[in-house]
Amino acid sequence: MNQARLTVLVSEGAGRLWLFLVLVFLYLPILVLAVMGLNDSVHYTLPFTFTTRWYEDLASNERLLQASFNSVAVALANTVIATILGTMAALAFARYRFRGRTVLQLLLFPPITIPWLIIGTSMLVLFFWTGIGRGLHAMLLGHVALSLPYVIIVVGARLASIGPDLEEAAASLGATPFQSLVRVQIPVMAPGIVAAALFAFAVSFDQFVISYFLAPPGVSVLPVEIFSAIRKGFTPEVNAISTIMIVISMTALLLFARLSKFGGER
Amino acid sequence: MRISGMIASALLAAAVAAQPLAAAEVRVLNWQGYGTDEAWGVEAFEAATGHTVVHDYFNSEQEMLTKLRTSPGAYDVVLINSAFTIQAAEEGLIQPIDSAAISNFGDLSPGLRDAAEFRLDGDLYGVAWTWGLTSIAYDTEEVDPGNSIEILWDPAHAGNVAVRDDSVENVYLAALATGQNMNAPEDLDAIRQKLRDLKPQIRTFWSSEDEWNKEFAADAFDVAVYWSGSASRSAKAFGLPVGYLIPKEGAIAWLDGLSLAAGSANPAGALQFIDYMVSPDHFVRWDTEVGAPASANGVAMNQLPEDAFNRQVLGDPAATANLQFMAPLSDETRETFLEIWEETKAWYAE
Amino acid sequence: MRIETRRRWAIAWLTGPAYLWLAVTIFLPLSAMLYFSFQKKGPFGKHASEFSLKHYEAFFTKGYLQDLMWRSLEMGFHVTGLCILIGFPAAYWLARRIRGRWREALFLLIVLPFWSNALVRVFSWTIVLRPDGVLDRAVQSVIPGLPAIDLTDSYPAIIIGLVHSYLPYMILTCFLSLQAIDESLLEAARSLGARSWTILVRIILPLAVPGLAAGSILIFVPVIGSFFEPRLLGGPKGTVIGTVIEEQFTVVSNWPLGGALSFILLAIVLLILAVAAPVLKNHMRTT
Repeated sequence: MNQARLTVLVSEGAGRLWLFLVLVFLYLPILVLAVMGLNDSVHYTLPFTFTTRWYEDLASNERLLQASFNSVAVALANTVIATILGTMAALAFARYRFRGRTVLQLLLFPPITIPWLIIGTSMLVLFFWTGIGRGLHAMLLGHVALSLPYVIIVVGARLASIGPDLEEAAASLGATPFQSLVRVQIPVMAPGIVAAALFAFAVSFDQFVISYFLAPPGVSVLPVEIFSAIRKGFTPEVNAISTIMIVISMTALLLFARLSKFGGER
Repeated sequence: MRISGMIASALLAAAVAAQPLAAAEVRVLNWQGYGTDEAWGVEAFEAATGHTVVHDYFNSEQEMLTKLRTSPGAYDVVLINSAFTIQAAEEGLIQPIDSAAISNFGDLSPGLRDAAEFRLDGDLYGVAWTWGLTSIAYDTEEVDPGNSIEILWDPAHAGNVAVRDDSVENVYLAALATGQNMNAPEDLDAIRQKLRDLKPQIRTFWSSEDEWNKEFAADAFDVAVYWSGSASRSAKAFGLPVGYLIPKEGAIAWLDGLSLAAGSANPAGALQFIDYMVSPDHFVRWDTEVGAPASANGVAMNQLPEDAFNRQVLGDPAATANLQFMAPLSDETRETFLEIWEETKAWYAE
Repeated sequence: MRIETRRRWAIAWLTGPAYLWLAVTIFLPLSAMLYFSFQKKGPFGKHASEFSLKHYEAFFTKGYLQDLMWRSLEMGFHVTGLCILIGFPAAYWLARRIRGRWREALFLLIVLPFWSNALVRVFSWTIVLRPDGVLDRAVQSVIPGLPAIDLTDSYPAIIIGLVHSYLPYMILTCFLSLQAIDESLLEAARSLGARSWTILVRIILPLAVPGLAAGSILIFVPVIGSFFEPRLLGGPKGTVIGTVIEEQFTVVSNWPLGGALSFILLAIVLLILAVAAPVLKNHMRTT
């Protein structure tokens, strides 16, 4: 075997090993989380003794169930609003060159680049001060703001990859702008819109910091409930509900991937 | 006529249904696992009065005040350390209580019940509930406690000590360790230095009783600042090898009261709840089955068995001779303490 | 002219709702916070509003606040650096060496953890890292007799938790820019006799810079503003500027100081973005 071939083989092996290790690193705590949800010890101590009692307890833990329900409700509402508003703005950016366009595009960066801690605390300040108050409505306001830039960028990327050719072709064939939008553009944009919607859902569903500052007593979403549980007292029920949520959201993403070849060849 | 009558009666029914529903909740703000949220107690109260009890929790007096400030009207009953009652009253966070509504009021020990810390302009703002100590708990299997607060600074326990992340409490401990009156410390630099010296000792900051028990069970620390009632709970309810030390330098004593939140939607229910909490019924079961601090109710204390932790530890005159009760702090002092502690934490993190 | 008017209306209607939303929820709150950061006290109790610079002065006169700010920046550098070191090779292998269904599957596997709750993942690290925890047990079973591994309540624990949270970002952005590199470019280099090391350093890395820069910013900015990861994983080592800011709002109700510290942090973020802007601009053009 010649030298070059050996080098390739070794580097091939090293690369795969590296990827494998990265995956182990990413999944180790998630696995531990799931396993500890099936461990009998309330203090999370080993050795492992199998039990399903935390899942049984969960069925009667109204606090966690209510928080889960709130999380899903806010995430769904966020997805609908952010996707619609974001797609509209992305269309404007793709179709029109206008004064202030660059400024508007630059304004998308603050929600991404300002630490959530600062956004969350300043929302708390404003909402408290003006009487908008805290609660699910306030969280929804915040989550949409965080999701919008991602939606605009993701849909915009899709539009950019299509280019204006299609629209021009439609126009040259006599389609009105509206026909062109409904019959040509939206179907072509669909994968981008679905991806953006999915992203928006994840941003809201996983969002803790903003919700933390905007959650009044008695109204909670899952991450906030879990945080206060970690700080103030919890049982492996928290692991159980987290495992369920992870399984649900990962299944959803896998289904989406099958439907849209997400991450595959473009 | 029939239709409008139906609508009217439906509206009426809705109004009637909505009214008691809204009022039948008693929303309590307290430390987690501190008596008011014992399941049997909540059930007994709910069965007796028809109110439902809802809890929210805080990890420090400061956080409690912040919750009252940013969520006006969200609570009915709030537990307040007597050192903070007047501040809360002055800020309008709590409202005066009519002691006639508390049937057990007469049984409360006069010295605690009539403490000046509960009163502002002659009005009663807190009903004395429990008192206890903030001192040192240790692992009975691994530690010989001795009798000094210096155990926290003992190199033998380096990396095995836990304290609570609370400015006032830690400044007080350092004041006791440096032989000062904790309510009026004069040598703040000595306190600063004493807290800094704790750096090699500290394993972690604990933030709740539950966390304390979990970390202790995981053997994360051997010596830690803890509350007397919680220590007895850890030993009794969780079977942990926890011993409690009242050092010769003294210990922090506190008196907790139950207050009526400003803007309470259910003041009558709130007062019923407070009344139940200060009753011997609740306290005796709490202390014997779970573990509690000392009750402000003299009748309740006399019903405890002779060997109860509260009678043994807090009943020992020699041990309790050096207690210093927490007194209210001025804004300036509080800010100074906070700054000392924040600076110390930054030093620990380096 | 009428077309021009219609065009304007279309633009206004399409962008208006999104930007109105952003104005109410991002820019207005920031303005309110800016206002309070110049107030003597927060909106509690009975006192008149009073202009004050004392909270900004506090940062410059109190050394420990500067130390904590520096500590947060240091933490940002460490986490970002580790994410590059771990993430770039992984992204490279995924983008250039693995094809077809495998690549799709692996890519998904890397993105999936992002779809789970960040807080819970941090929490589960405390179970993994604690003494007598999963890591300790695993190592002991392989090499018995080793001293107990106990990483909880330490700086490395914070770093591990943060790297775990943010690594997928780096792999994602690097993957995208590496995937976009034209294979024919590399073949041309190879046919001209360039060695693989040369190709990596002279062609692939420069072309991947936009992805690295985007990933770094997506990681660095949230990390310097992080508070719950240091708090839950760091114990006494977990005090950073983020936890101090959070405490001003949730514990001690000193909104003005929290606001002032936030704006100082924000100024530093903007400074970093200004430095990185040229690189990012290129990135915007390529995607």
